[in-house]
Amino acid sequence: MEEYAREPCPWRIVDDCGGAFTMGVIGGGVFQAIKGFRNAPVGIRHRFRGSVNAVRIRAPQIGGSFAVWGGLFSTIDCGLVRLRGKEDPWNSISSGALTGAVLAARSGPLAMVGSAMMGGILLALIEGVGILLTRYTAQQFRNAPPFLEDPSQLTPKEGSPAPGYPNYQQYH
Amino acid sequence: MEGGGRSSNKSTSGLAGFFGAGGAGYSNADLAGVPLTGMNPLSPYLNVDPRYLVQDTDEFILPTGANKTRGRFELAFFTIGGCCMTGAAFGAMNGLRLGLKETQSMAWSKPRNVQILNMVTRQGALWANTLGSLALLYSAFGVIIEKTRGAEDDLNTVAAGTMTGMLYKCTGGLRGIARGGLAGLTLTSLYALYNNWVHMKGSLLQQSL
Repeated sequence: MEEYAREPCPWRIVDDCGGAFTMGVIGGGVFQAIKGFRNAPVGIRHRFRGSVNAVRIRAPQIGGSFAVWGGLFSTIDCGLVRLRGKEDPWNSISSGALTGAVLAARSGPLAMVGSAMMGGILLALIEGVGILLTRYTAQQFRNAPPFLEDPSQLTPKEGSPAPGYPNYQQYH
Repeated sequence: MEGGGRSSNKSTSGLAGFFGAGGAGYSNADLAGVPLTGMNPLSPYLNVDPRYLVQDTDEFILPTGANKTRGRFELAFFTIGGCCMTGAAFGAMNGLRLGLKETQSMAWSKPRNVQILNMVTRQGALWANTLGSLALLYSAFGVIIEKTRGAEDDLNTVAAGTMTGMLYKCTGGLRGIARGGLAGLTLTSLYALYNNWVHMKGSLLQQSL
């Protein structure tokens, strides 16, 4: 499986917006399919039609919400990269917190703080899992410790006879 | 006497075969195409076939399983994101136009501002979601067709567009499916023509000349 490399910073915003929309539509589509199936009247045709209608109407809205979140997150992330001049997990965590705060601005300062904490914790978990995965993957490429190639460096034990003369003591 | 004669015959035939094989191995038949007229007095190490000096012109080292060009999967997210942003921009402009038209009889006040802002956000979200969904269907069909056929050309584009239109209008019955497919076919055909316009123009000029 080839690695999916992210775009450089101006185009990353569009790429992340599209990726978030895709995740929202597919994930939301699965959940809305189940919910529509369960909320429909009795009958396989009614349930199937209810499922299709729920997916068709609700999935794009969920995708749109994910796209807004992803696009704003990536915009703030690129802004921080530009300001700080470096890329590290703190950029992602700060971007997650700021995105949560901005999107909850209409609900008041208390909701902003709560959403900021939620966003920051979520991104911290994501970055933590990423770092752990990188460490685990790097273990497989660790080189073996170099073994000794010169047998003369091995010091023989004192008191034990050489293997070539097992009965050396007997001839004294 | 007879036994001695037989053994001598066998050894003779073995020696003959050995010398024959050795001669065949060290012949100069495979170097017949190399011009050796001016190199003989210098050194026998200069008898090199010039065909081995041709180097491969590729300058990149690709990982195992990687492609030289990026496929539709790498382009899918950019397409979907671009369509979402484009839809949001055009939808916001349309929302501003509708909001101003609906509230033109009101004085500039807080309710009017709220109404215009609501129209902008609602129309922007609606257009962004619709265009993003179409881009998602188009990209998904494109990736599936590319993996199925194993080729990348404009036929994939037209087929993906047609299937997108058919699926998007599938709730309107057979007439809706036909109309959606025709719309998708038309749009993607125009896009394919636009993509190949430079090549077509060049070929037309060559034919005219």
